[in-house]
Amino acid sequence: MGDSPPQKHRILMVSDFYYPNFGGVENHAYYLSQCLLKLGHKVVVVTHAYGNRSGVRYMTGSLKVYYVPWRPFCNQSTFPTLYGILPIIRTILIRERITVVHGHQTFSTLCHDALLHARIMGYKVVFTDHSLHGFGDVGSIHMNKVMQFTLADVSQAICVSHTSKENTVLRSGLAPEKVFVIPNAVDTAMFKPALERPGGLEIVVVVISRLVYRKGADLLVEVIPEVCRLHPNVRFIIGGDGPKRVRLEEMREKHSLFDRVELLGAVPHAQVRSVLISGHIFLTCSLTEAFCMAILEAASCGLLTVSTRVGGVPEVLPDDMIVLAEPDPGDIVQAIQKAIYMLPEIDPQVMHNRMRELYNWRDVAKRTEIVYDRASKCPNQSLLESLSRYLSCGAWAGKLFSLVMILGFLFWHLLELWQPADDIEEVPDVIFSHNCDEEMLQKS
Amino acid sequence: MVIFSISNARYTYVHDQKYPSKDVDIHHIVSRRSNAKYLVYATALLVLACALYLYVLKGKSISFVYYSLLFDIFLVKLLLGKPVKKESVVIMPAFGVQLETHYVSGKVIRYFVPIDNILKPVLIECVTPVTCYWTLSLIIRGESEMVLVFKNLRPPVKMLVHVWKALCAATDSKEETCTHAE
Repeated sequence: MGDSPPQKHRILMVSDFYYPNFGGVENHAYYLSQCLLKLGHKVVVVTHAYGNRSGVRYMTGSLKVYYVPWRPFCNQSTFPTLYGILPIIRTILIRERITVVHGHQTFSTLCHDALLHARIMGYKVVFTDHSLHGFGDVGSIHMNKVMQFTLADVSQAICVSHTSKENTVLRSGLAPEKVFVIPNAVDTAMFKPALERPGGLEIVVVVISRLVYRKGADLLVEVIPEVCRLHPNVRFIIGGDGPKRVRLEEMREKHSLFDRVELLGAVPHAQVRSVLISGHIFLTCSLTEAFCMAILEAASCGLLTVSTRVGGVPEVLPDDMIVLAEPDPGDIVQAIQKAIYMLPEIDPQVMHNRMRELYNWRDVAKRTEIVYDRASKCPNQSLLESLSRYLSCGAWAGKLFSLVMILGFLFWHLLELWQPADDIEEVPDVIFSHNCDEEMLQKS
Repeated sequence: MVIFSISNARYTYVHDQKYPSKDVDIHHIVSRRSNAKYLVYATALLVLACALYLYVLKGKSISFVYYSLLFDIFLVKLLLGKPVKKESVVIMPAFGVQLETHYVSGKVIRYFVPIDNILKPVLIECVTPVTCYWTLSLIIRGESEMVLVFKNLRPPVKMLVHVWKALCAATDSKEETCTHAE
């Protein structure tokens, strides 16, 4: 008996973080969507408007993006209205004949709202967590409660590392068997090593990150002068901007390192490769990281990585491609010294080829496809069955979450009366005749 | 002379030819009577009845009645203000396109677009904070913004397609669409 053909899904990707914004989540959503389209699934993205970019836009490979005209409220996230987004989400779900709703990132209010409404309407939902969170501060406690609410009735969840999975399971109380680990990938076609390695006796250490506390900018301030003292042939190139830039400038002035520490400021994503290939070692001093995309990009460009042993970072690269250190200035200095001695053995082209095999978006898409298949097999449950899970979220929170769900359910039925699903026109699937960026997907 | 018509719960599309010249093409989108307005009137009457009850039987101040009347006027104006009866597109191939909005009050607003100014008629998806719908627009030469063919009514795409095809024929635009997967 022959195997039945693989199920084709109609996926709605929802996140506040999407192009033209740049970052790990944005990249992930875009490349995953492109590869899912290649696998024959239908993918539609919903995000908020960016400046005057609102309405429907088409991206490479007929990827349809709804830029809903809701303005960002804080850190590129929309204002949490709970029910304000229900009419538009319902319309999109019906007109695009969606079967699976996939939300990205804990900090995206649009994602939380969309998953809430999708569950009310009986759709299968998948959530991807891209970050690690604490348990102690007020912000984390609040966020963890929101996560518990969102994930109480989620079909499946995805994390980018095993550390991230542990963190998500602890924070949300989600059953571990519902959480899959699918690491990020890198578009190796965009991050090729230089044809010739930077020559001479000089060793260039590259740092590209936001200059904030979480990314270990304070550690950098202590590490750089010590490395420069121990190795006169080492030079630093620092790309990125943030509140800690002032401290780096003060350090450069205090230790008279103007000729050895170059501060580039914010680096556009398109120019990241050109900065990376000018160096030999990539340094990241993050204090918390679920999965560091920058490490993959640097390794793809043939740079040896020195990183702090935090979060999911130890899972990212094989031991011969990364030197790990504790988030302590002395330990990081030692790790950089070790990396300097390892440099002669590093072949950037070999490293790039290994990265191409280890991390590609097609593999990520195939693994995500399995998660969608699992989600679609989850039994449909009535509101009453779902409410029992919301009630278990806490003495008061449980009752509040249940009330939110009941009100959402009533609002949905009111919308069904006001504009029946039959009145919402289904959109034909668009296939553009020209194949744009075919090469990008072939290489990734 | 009605050539063709389609109806749904909210709109009726009529393809018409009034003039002896076969070239002049008229397309109407007629708004069908909605039950929503009766609900608005019923709500307004209920508010007024409550105010009168409080004034006559409970001896409350007459200001209650005045305020309820003001509220009713505001409610009716807000929800039923400037109701549109129909919107029409008069296509004169050698001359231009006239867009007409007919109000229930009898008022008609006409807007003429010369044929040379129309680069292309396009069917596009409109996204608002609460919904998505299809709309028919004209790309105008030298203008940064498109002109909406139906400014007030939101007919379904099956009605818009007929008007779009007629506009394409009149402006010598190719009926280009993306390939639709079956």
